[in-house]
Amino acid sequence: MTTSLADHLRSLPDESLAALLQLRPDLVVPVPADISALATRAQSRVSVARALDGLDQFTLQILDAARLTRDPADGTTATEAVLAMATSGPRPPAPTTVRSAVDRLRALFLLYGPEHALSVVESVDEVSPYPAGLGRPAAELDARAAALCADPAKLRRTLLAAPPSARAILDRLAAGPPVGSVPPGALQAPPLGEEDQLPPDPVNGGVPTGSPVRWLVEHRLLVPISAGTVELPREVGLLLRRDSGPLGPLRTSPPPTAAAPREPKAVDSAGAGQTMEVVRHTEGLLEQLAAEPAPVLRSGGIGVRDLRRLARVAGLDEPTTALLVEVAYAAGLLGELELPGVSTNRYGADQQVLPAAGYEVWRAASLAQRWEQLARAWLTMTRQVGLVGQRDDRDRPITALSAEAERAGAPVSRRAVLGVLADLEPATAPTPDEVLALLDWRSPRRSRGREAAHREVLAEAAQLGVTGLGALTSYGRLLLADVIHADDGTNDPLGLHVEADSDEPSTAARALDALLPAPVDHFLMQADLTLVVPGPPEPALAAELDAVAELESAGGASVHRVTTASVRRALDAGYRADDLHALFRRRSRTPVPQSLTYLVDDVARRHGGLRAGSAGAYLRSDDEALLSEVCADRRLESLALRRLAPTVLVSPYQVGRLLGALRDAGYAPVPEDATGAAVLSRPKTRRAAARVSVSTRTLDPLAAPRVPMPRLLGVVEQIRRGDAAARAARRAPAAVRGGGRGATGPAPVQGHSDALAVLQQAVRDKALVWVGYVDAHGATASRLVKPVSIGAGYLRAEDERTEMLHTFALHRITAAVRAD
Amino acid sequence: MRDFLPDSGRVQHWMVGLRWVLHLAGQPIGRKDAGVSGGPLIVQSDKTLLLEIDHPDAQACRMAIAPFAELERSPEHVHTYRLTPLGLWNARAAGHDAEGVVDSLIKFSRYPVPHALLVDVAETMDRYGRLQLANDPVHGLVLRALDRVVLVEVAKSKKLAGMLGARIDEDTIAVHPSERGRLKQALLKLGWPAEDLAGYVDGEAHPIDLAEAGKEGRKPWTLRSYQREAVEAFWAGGSGVVVLPCGAGKTLVGAAAMAEAKATTLILVTNTVAGRQWKRELIARTSLTEEEIGEYSGERKEIRPVTIATYQVLTSRRGGAFTHLDLFGARDWGLVIYDEVHLLPAPIFRFTADLQARRRLGLTATLVREDGREGDVFSLIGPKRYDAPWKDIESQGWIAPAECTEVRVTLTDAERMAYATAEAEERYRMAATARTKLPVVKALVDRHPDDQVLVIGGYIDQLHQLGEYLDAPIIQGSTTNKERERLFDEFRSGSLRTLVISKVGNFSIDLPEAAVAIQVSGTFGSRQEEAQRLGRVLRPKADGRQAHFYTVVSRDTIDTEYAAHRQRFLAEQGYAYTIVDADDVLGPKLPTVD
Repeated sequence: MTTSLADHLRSLPDESLAALLQLRPDLVVPVPADISALATRAQSRVSVARALDGLDQFTLQILDAARLTRDPADGTTATEAVLAMATSGPRPPAPTTVRSAVDRLRALFLLYGPEHALSVVESVDEVSPYPAGLGRPAAELDARAAALCADPAKLRRTLLAAPPSARAILDRLAAGPPVGSVPPGALQAPPLGEEDQLPPDPVNGGVPTGSPVRWLVEHRLLVPISAGTVELPREVGLLLRRDSGPLGPLRTSPPPTAAAPREPKAVDSAGAGQTMEVVRHTEGLLEQLAAEPAPVLRSGGIGVRDLRRLARVAGLDEPTTALLVEVAYAAGLLGELELPGVSTNRYGADQQVLPAAGYEVWRAASLAQRWEQLARAWLTMTRQVGLVGQRDDRDRPITALSAEAERAGAPVSRRAVLGVLADLEPATAPTPDEVLALLDWRSPRRSRGREAAHREVLAEAAQLGVTGLGALTSYGRLLLADVIHADDGTNDPLGLHVEADSDEPSTAARALDALLPAPVDHFLMQADLTLVVPGPPEPALAAELDAVAELESAGGASVHRVTTASVRRALDAGYRADDLHALFRRRSRTPVPQSLTYLVDDVARRHGGLRAGSAGAYLRSDDEALLSEVCADRRLESLALRRLAPTVLVSPYQVGRLLGALRDAGYAPVPEDATGAAVLSRPKTRRAAARVSVSTRTLDPLAAPRVPMPRLLGVVEQIRRGDAAARAARRAPAAVRGGGRGATGPAPVQGHSDALAVLQQAVRDKALVWVGYVDAHGATASRLVKPVSIGAGYLRAEDERTEMLHTFALHRITAAVRAD
Repeated sequence: MRDFLPDSGRVQHWMVGLRWVLHLAGQPIGRKDAGVSGGPLIVQSDKTLLLEIDHPDAQACRMAIAPFAELERSPEHVHTYRLTPLGLWNARAAGHDAEGVVDSLIKFSRYPVPHALLVDVAETMDRYGRLQLANDPVHGLVLRALDRVVLVEVAKSKKLAGMLGARIDEDTIAVHPSERGRLKQALLKLGWPAEDLAGYVDGEAHPIDLAEAGKEGRKPWTLRSYQREAVEAFWAGGSGVVVLPCGAGKTLVGAAAMAEAKATTLILVTNTVAGRQWKRELIARTSLTEEEIGEYSGERKEIRPVTIATYQVLTSRRGGAFTHLDLFGARDWGLVIYDEVHLLPAPIFRFTADLQARRRLGLTATLVREDGREGDVFSLIGPKRYDAPWKDIESQGWIAPAECTEVRVTLTDAERMAYATAEAEERYRMAATARTKLPVVKALVDRHPDDQVLVIGGYIDQLHQLGEYLDAPIIQGSTTNKERERLFDEFRSGSLRTLVISKVGNFSIDLPEAAVAIQVSGTFGSRQEEAQRLGRVLRPKADGRQAHFYTVVSRDTIDTEYAAHRQRFLAEQGYAYTIVDADDVLGPKLPTVD
């Protein structure tokens, strides 16, 4: 059949082929080599699935009709047959709508061939296996089921005999899909001897004992197709659908929306109010991130705690905060900064999220432009922010900006949902359920299973001010059109124009701009020292307010308060009192209250009343003339003395240098300490240290030392131990003593490794060992020790006699013998 | 109906509020110019409302938003109102609905109102009354839900443990009658304030009528229309608070409510003097005689069909226990009146929680409480039932009633030095009681030779100095009630021109009116106390003369800092004030002070 599609395509005029390629643009990426390649691609699963995804429900139903009416012999159908089936149910659609649906399908080449012999592109059956939710014909499933279906009267009788619970199962399967799973064991016969009793009649038609399903299978109304799966034969399904028509209820047109159009201005107003909030909150969040960047988690994204902190500071809830952060990131206002060096922050991360360079540009733009940048980013970002805060497959929380919230289909969802709103009358506000129903009709294959994501899109659109009062705003509509237009790339395949006109506000931004309050350059001053800016301030005014007042309340207007601290801050920043008075007079629409004048003057009067600085040393004298003299002394110029008061000079240099220079110049300065007392200094006389410390001398150097009794006892013990050791030493084995010059006879030379083995054993046994070794002078010596450890080429052993730990180099040990 | 599905999460929640707003959008509101309209109101995202006074629509706007927004500050150009859940619920209880509120906001707003804020307002208002306390003929007191999910949510809360009884059906749970008050408090904290429809006991009947025909030779009189409306609104609501500005005749509203109830009444007042004033009024304006009205105070303990008790005596304790609690059960009271609800002490709330079956009337000029217990007033005494129309408040001279002046004196060098070296806790006293202030006060008194002058101070020593220096009597804490009333009478009659009073003056309800007040020391107390006293002292005089309020402060001391707070407060209350130098008051030559 492939050839026939290829042939068919080949026979078409160029315009028709071009039309096909326009409808299914995926066919030309990459450009197919020839017509048969094109035909193969047009019949590929992927391309067909894509084509089906774009179809509305009615067209899909007509395609199903075409599939159902295929002639089993040659697999073709005819428009008339499709029409007959589509109109066979109650409330048949107008033939023209059916025909136009067929035309649509033919234009897409899902159906092709002449009208009387239409073929269905074959992978349609793979992509959607059950046409109109009906099962396969009984003949393909099971011979006995086919036999039953071949006898309509018997089939009807069997159906009528079905118990209610079984009938409920049938009805469910008949509505489609036609396959169902059954619990394991439900199809097995009961054990022998037990009556197969149907349950009394469960109203809900559930499968409590498995019996209804078994009844159906035994009566061939259901066919088991694999373990635990049953299928309803097509004939049974059609019979069950005799009330609704073979294709089920046909939905020729989109479901209606009950909502009447709102007042467009009210919609725009609510949306515009929201846009101001969005921009303000985004700026607040970014400022907060600039002050305290959020560390990037190892798993990506920013932590729950940081998100919570941002939310708290901005006064938002966490989902909204996550949305704004994600949008700002997508808009290029946030970025990650690699931290140089070793990670030091608490998460051990080496990246931080903080405002990107683009933030500065963004901040300088007009409110509408700033919003547009955000909204545009939102429309095209591949993020599903609603997932943030939920848990992933591995039960880990999904964090903001993490890879887990990435969804390639997100822009499509947004476009689909907003597209539904855009296609309604302007300012129509359907309920979310209505929007979902519309989506379900428009592209059922794409919408099913994404209801949650679509609801999120609606909520996000409201939060971002794309919609107002539930309806698409006028500027939102313009923006959407703009984005879709740019996306189509029909006029600008390389995206050149996006850059070119980025300076000019887009139509959407201009439309929004008209709705937003104009910037104001003045404020109203009040006696409670508040300044009310009745609108968004001009940049210059905003900067001035930043300098001289504290923000108290923000929104459409802003309320600032002048406080002692804020005036002081302004003075610190270089304003003078006169500047402040002038500023208030210039900017205020209302008379400057007297209290403000007093406040500024009071603070200014005391501002700088105290001066602080640093100096290395000071020089003071009650004699002002003397200080004047020092000041004027050219020899002391290098000290950079400065007169703070008639009686005080300061120098940036340390006091030592000051004293030296002054003395050299013939003055007689005296240093003082922190309390002002003179520090006296005398030349030091050199003395040597005595050799014996005085305290150890006794009156009679010849008198015998007196030692207390306990210590004497210790001495006795020590002596005894030494004695025992000496005796033992005399008994030191020859092996140990030998090897020396004084040895008589052939010394039984012990192998080094043997000695090591003895020592190791002794370490384990904690036994005493005679160790013979060569000392540092080359002499042979022996010692009775208790080895403690061997390692790193050394033996560590305890000498019982001296209670000391000795270290022997192993290579010097000549012999080792157990003492016992 | 609203389908508040428990599993539908955030989006669904959003949409419920949204539907309200959507509903609104179909109405002919805000259509006039919903884009950038030139309205007088700016709705801020922190839920404050800025009202520009000079705007032509300001009056209309003020009337529209007053029922649901609390006035926070009223300086000369832009007034600040705030939207709070309680304010919105009060409005709801008074019969305003979310549509009306959102309508007003959109209608008067100059700029687009953030959508989220509108949704929030609608949602908040929608929470009131989802739960109702009702009397079931079979089960007695029950909590009934108009929204089953809310009932499920609150029933699970630990805060309600022990208050709820058996579940009667899916929408109803029995409530222990003793927990009626605490349940309402707890539900308010959970954000689901219940509407109390459980009704009240009638109490012991006692005939009370308004004596509008005039009594014992007095002139006939009638209730003013707003007083009548206030009583009707209260009676229809059962229990609640009536908000009227000072001098609008709150006592008469109380008397009329008593005449409506025709039952024994317990009246709780701030202090004895106020209690006697109530008694005088009741005898003059109702059929009640002196014998029927009892005073329950520190001095006397009378329990009569109408009993006036002070907060102080009720909250006095002996050995840690409240000794006068029996009063609440002494009679089968049919009505309990709370005067000055915003001053109600915390223990009284606890007693009130047990009085939920009795009708309660709260009277006040402001719902703002220093301790932030507005929620307890709402749940235990009742929601706001009546708020005087703004026009009336205005006719009471609420706006710019007096001229406030801060006089700055420069301390002598000796005083400065003493101040500079004083301990931190002594500094304020040093600055406030500087003797340099005495001639300035004298000069100020002399400036108003034809007016009654009150000199107010916080330090007794200084008051004595002032008394000597000005040759004026002193009223302080130790002055007996009798002496106090004698001096007040003399002052009122004009035979006494200058009076020096200590801070006790703050609490005397019958502080005579004066055209001039001079404050020399003493910090101001809480905001509402201050508002009250200023309102009392600084009311414009009947003959249209300007009232004056002087504060004498020492320059460059902590005294000035306190003065700055006061300035802010005064400005927020809408009082105009100026700062002058003492030298301007005194003239060129400084009189010597020994």
